[in-house]
Amino acid sequence: MTEPLIELTGITRILKGQEEPRTILDGVNLTVHRGQSVAIVGRSGSGKSTLLSILGLFDRADEGSYVLAGQDISRLPERKSAKLRSSHFGFVFQRFFLLKHLTAAQNVAMALVNGQGWLPRRQRRARVMEALDQVGIAHLAKNRPVKMSGGEQQRVAIARALVRDPQVLLADEPTGALDTETGTAVIDVLLNATTRGCSLVLVTHDRDHAARMGRTMSLVDGVLTERVPV
Amino acid sequence: MRRMSGSYRSALIIGIQGIRARKLRTLLSMVSLFLGVLAVVVVQAGASIAERALLADMEMTQGYDGTKVMEVLPNDKLGTIVTDTLEGQPDAIAMLTTQAIIGEPGVKPVNEGGSPFDENWGGGMICNGPGPEDCEPINSGPPGAAIEIRLSALTGDIRTFRPLRPMTGDWLDFSSVPSLAPKLVINREAEKGFNRHQVPAEMRINGASANLTPQIVGVVDDGDYQPRAYVRMDELSNWLPSTAMTDPNSGGAQLQVLLGPDSPVEKVLTSKLQAAGVETYAQTIESYKQLESQLSLMRLLFLSMAGLVLLIGVAGILNVGLATVGERVEEFALRRAVGTPRLLLAGIVLAETLLTGLLTAAAAIGAGVAGLKVVSMLVGQSEPMLRDVQFPWEAGVAGIIAGIIAGVLGGFIPALRAAGIPIATVMRA
Repeated sequence: MTEPLIELTGITRILKGQEEPRTILDGVNLTVHRGQSVAIVGRSGSGKSTLLSILGLFDRADEGSYVLAGQDISRLPERKSAKLRSSHFGFVFQRFFLLKHLTAAQNVAMALVNGQGWLPRRQRRARVMEALDQVGIAHLAKNRPVKMSGGEQQRVAIARALVRDPQVLLADEPTGALDTETGTAVIDVLLNATTRGCSLVLVTHDRDHAARMGRTMSLVDGVLTERVPV
Repeated sequence: MRRMSGSYRSALIIGIQGIRARKLRTLLSMVSLFLGVLAVVVVQAGASIAERALLADMEMTQGYDGTKVMEVLPNDKLGTIVTDTLEGQPDAIAMLTTQAIIGEPGVKPVNEGGSPFDENWGGGMICNGPGPEDCEPINSGPPGAAIEIRLSALTGDIRTFRPLRPMTGDWLDFSSVPSLAPKLVINREAEKGFNRHQVPAEMRINGASANLTPQIVGVVDDGDYQPRAYVRMDELSNWLPSTAMTDPNSGGAQLQVLLGPDSPVEKVLTSKLQAAGVETYAQTIESYKQLESQLSLMRLLFLSMAGLVLLIGVAGILNVGLATVGERVEEFALRRAVGTPRLLLAGIVLAETLLTGLLTAAAAIGAGVAGLKVVSMLVGQSEPMLRDVQFPWEAGVAGIIAGIIAGVLGGFIPALRAAGIPIATVMRA
């Protein structure tokens, strides 16, 4: 087993709204190793997306510790969080969030033109084309999202997540808006990334897709437990 | 060359992408801002052109800034002190002004006293006592075909100190051999008189050894409302002895010495004149300073009004900016998700509004340049101020500054909004 990349210990997140405080995550422990793929399943509202938000540094836990590659990042200032998001994480969402006024290549380049270091145009184009090639749609580089199918759009979104060679790929129901066949192809692309040492945390409702991951974790009422394959 | 940092370049690239994606909206922002920036450009251009024109007029009548003007009271001891001291000095000239009548001898000139041709100053009075009843008009003969002018005799080219505008013909040639028939360059008012009245070419000057036959070689605009003619001092001195030129009893004679800002002649001349017991008064021309105080209040007033119009434009850009940020919540949240810092998000919005402001400024400056050209073509002939007028660079700078200010003011609040968009928006979508 490789060294742990992500170590969540006792992560608790409580939502303090107008009503009674609600515990979304309750002492979650999770360890993800380099190159490992982990599926997180659970019913709607069980806290999957909140967990993914904390993993992706979108949100901060009220309690517990978050260690990434041996460094405690539980209380990181926003500026450093943004830098880490850029350098260590790739995100894939259920809705593809492609900017319709940009081409596929420009959408992918968005992750490179983010103020975190600067790549000359030629290198940037090479990286973008490499990422599009990884997901098998290099030929659509100049197409705008409106001219693409759902599967192709999600591939562009995955290329955007991969273009900075992230260490962790966080995918929030990436097949939710796709048909079964296309969804399976998208999961193939995501799993392919893990062969190059990138860890994958996939939030999904789909049992088949979850079964293809190295591990499956179940989140019920904010408590994360490992599902042992039968 | 120092290159822009990644953040600036990112903001610029994304800003340009944003503008290209929302061309119509950008255009509408520009339209709302255009009038404001144009108002600033027009006010600044108008003020600069007026200032230039007023300054040019003041320079024409008084002299360039820094020129020293020494007034020397006519004195029979003056002799050749002035002309000898100034000889061969390129940065100093003397101008002796006296009255002259051109036309029939022994008649009253049509503009007695050298008055402008549309006015009548009369020929002056001789008073034998303290009361008005003791005064009687000078009897200068019956009315006839003669014109009275101010005659300015020059030791050098006065245009070094005062930018007289040539109208027609030539200027005085100081390098040629002096002519016995003095060459005159007349001003526009004198030209008016000679156009209206047919007069014989005979010139009378008090103290002259004979009546002269002048040659009019050119016309200049000197800003003077009195008829005036310029002549070479050496051509005049053939007929008018230097003692007569500076005779305090000759009536109306004035001697001015114009000196460059650092001319060493001033000290030498002053000492020589003081030694001869001649009084002098010197002053330095400060036209710009004088003009600035007159114009600053007016400019401030107009700029304030233009500023108000600009504020309306800023409100427009702000409104469009807020609406755009509202539409792009997901985009900004996504950009934060991929690692874009909040500051850069604000920078992207500011870059867009700044670019919009600068594009508007460019359009307003372009419109200003084109408008001025059209106005110059249409009314340039009747308004010398607008003839061949160049677009003032100050107006261009003011337009760019107005565009930048509008861009920053209009983009500031939308930028803050964009920076504050929660990243989790993309997760909840």
